[in-house]
Amino acid sequence: MTSEFVSIHGLHKSYGDKVQVLSGIDRAFSRTDRIVVIGPSGGGKSTLLRCVMGLEQIDAGQICLEGEAYVRVANRRTVIDRAVQRRIGMVFQHYTLFPHLTVRKNLVLAPVKAHGFAPSKANSDAERLLARFGLTDKLDVYPAQLSGGQKQRVAIARALMLEPKLMLFDEVTSALDPELVSEVESMIAELADGGMPMMIVTHDMTFARNIATQVLFCAGGVIAEAGSPEQIFSDPQQPRTRDFLRKMRSDEGFRT
Amino acid sequence: MIYSFDFSILIKYLPALLRGLMITLEVSAVSILAGIVLGFLLAIARQFGGPWLATPAMAIVEFVRGVPVLIQIFWVFFCLPAIIGMDIGSTLSAALALTLFMGAISSESFRAAFATIDKDQYDATVALGMPMRVTMLYVILPQALIRATPTLLSNAITVFKESAIVSAVGMADIMFVGRNISSASGHPIEILTVVAAAYFIVAWPMTLLVGNLERRRLERMSAA
Amino acid sequence: MRLDLNTHMLEQLNLHFISAASGRLLGGLLVTLELSAIVMVVSTFAGFAVAILVMSPFRLLRLPVRAYIEVFRCTPALVQIVWFFYCVPVLFNVFWEPFTMAVMALSLNLTAYNAEAYRAAIQSIPKLHSDASVALGLNRWHFNRYVVFPQALRLALPVLVTNTIGMIQQSALVALVAVEDLMYVTKSIASSTYRPVEIYTVAALIYFAIAFTLSRVVALIERRNRQLMERA
Repeated sequence: MTSEFVSIHGLHKSYGDKVQVLSGIDRAFSRTDRIVVIGPSGGGKSTLLRCVMGLEQIDAGQICLEGEAYVRVANRRTVIDRAVQRRIGMVFQHYTLFPHLTVRKNLVLAPVKAHGFAPSKANSDAERLLARFGLTDKLDVYPAQLSGGQKQRVAIARALMLEPKLMLFDEVTSALDPELVSEVESMIAELADGGMPMMIVTHDMTFARNIATQVLFCAGGVIAEAGSPEQIFSDPQQPRTRDFLRKMRSDEGFRT
Repeated sequence: MIYSFDFSILIKYLPALLRGLMITLEVSAVSILAGIVLGFLLAIARQFGGPWLATPAMAIVEFVRGVPVLIQIFWVFFCLPAIIGMDIGSTLSAALALTLFMGAISSESFRAAFATIDKDQYDATVALGMPMRVTMLYVILPQALIRATPTLLSNAITVFKESAIVSAVGMADIMFVGRNISSASGHPIEILTVVAAAYFIVAWPMTLLVGNLERRRLERMSAA
Repeated sequence: MRLDLNTHMLEQLNLHFISAASGRLLGGLLVTLELSAIVMVVSTFAGFAVAILVMSPFRLLRLPVRAYIEVFRCTPALVQIVWFFYCVPVLFNVFWEPFTMAVMALSLNLTAYNAEAYRAAIQSIPKLHSDASVALGLNRWHFNRYVVFPQALRLALPVLVTNTIGMIQQSALVALVAVEDLMYVTKSIASSTYRPVEIYTVAALIYFAIAFTLSRVVALIERRNRQLMERA
């Protein structure tokens, strides 16, 4: 299928013998897709995202990007094609900016030291990116002096420096104060408008509904239900999905 | 026999004592710096090396910390030449033994520092496609150094005090000089007190500095 | 080559020599253990007393004690030992056995470190700290002994044992002032038999065995303390 951009085949992952975290994930997405994965804690959604990034050892299956299998199992060991992995960017829940470096250095470190970018190009890229997202005055500031929302936006910019083909967002707003959430979500929406394929794990159902082209409900290590946002949020088929959404709605009701 | 104090001999022997102090400071400084490097390498070996690296590293650290440094310096001075067939002077023996000691205790400091570095940062470096070498050099090492600084400073003070041991293999540090002059002049109290004072004058301000750094770190951590 | 010399001597192995050597080593080890044990016991109690004194509100009491602690923690143990051996007999016109002087010098050293350990332990628990302050009056000795001391001891125990391990390492230094401990015997055998490697290695292993055992004890105590705190 030529429209396949990311495909996951028979993904299995467990911790030791007992804990099965992912039990057979099969999924494919196109270049125009924006996938949102929702589900209960421990259901496997973050692990799924991490596997797509190539951060986790897997037991069986493979993951392909643009037709190339870059995560697979050989001789009972996980083999990851770093060259393909480089085309994917990821942002985490807890900023993970390097605290001992300024924002500028945070942005240019990987491109210059690990990917052979010229320092001048890296610096101008950094300035351009921060200007695009309104963070220019933070260039020579240390992460400790930024708000949570700013840190997260810098983290996104840092991932964008490497010109990724696919962006992964792992609960990037879950650790933020509520008033800081929207600035980060706007930035992600802007990227989406620019045509960036992405996979997002989030607890914010409103955000999920607005940005997603496909929603996956991941629970118990399998994709219990999948469909368009309208389908999933308005008319969920599975009882587990219904229960989960009901709980999330009442939580959100509490918050607003 | 009542002891007659004679403080004028201090003036007479001051140059020799100062020279001894220089030797003490030099051997300490060299061992401290080399020991920090060694300590970092040992810490990396234990934290990130496979079992073939981590276990020998751990064995070295445990052994150096569990055996008196005096034995270690004697071992390097007396035994190592017998084994490798080459003579090792007192200076080299002293430097080797003290470096090993500083390395062993500093590896613990670095390991503790590693533990405070957020595990998520490793994930970020993988997501950014950074190979291990780059990650170690630009992300882990700087942070480990910053976080380990008070402890490393404290270790340095310990090594500085331990350096008095080099007198036992004939190195002319201030302890060696002091002991000789004490016997020769028959005025041990004046001389040895000055020797003790010399160590104190160097070690005590550093101790206060360490206390200061630790207190500031505690404040910063509780504020964040 | 020196290696040949050793193997040649190995052929002329003298069983009597080996047993005599191990007999002497054992004697030295006993001296080391006896020395360490006395110092440890003395410093466990003296350290507490000094800790209480250094927390006193009376400057006249607190400052000299503080000075004692700082001096003994910021100068090398070797300097303290040498100073004791060369200066005290002359200064106070007394003559004590080397063993006794070694006990005194090492006790002064370990007490200073233990005092800091106790102080840190007491100050880490507000109630304990205020109890100790209440008990600072000399007529509250019983309060101190039965209320403050047991708790402070239990809290500070890991550090106290670690300090003791350090003291045992430092005890080897008394060989340099001719106290016939394990280190002294080792050096003596090594220089008289030209076989330093075996002897020093054996001595190192003995010291290591002692330190290792005690460090396991520390780990055990820390685990027990943690369990106690979790349950509380």
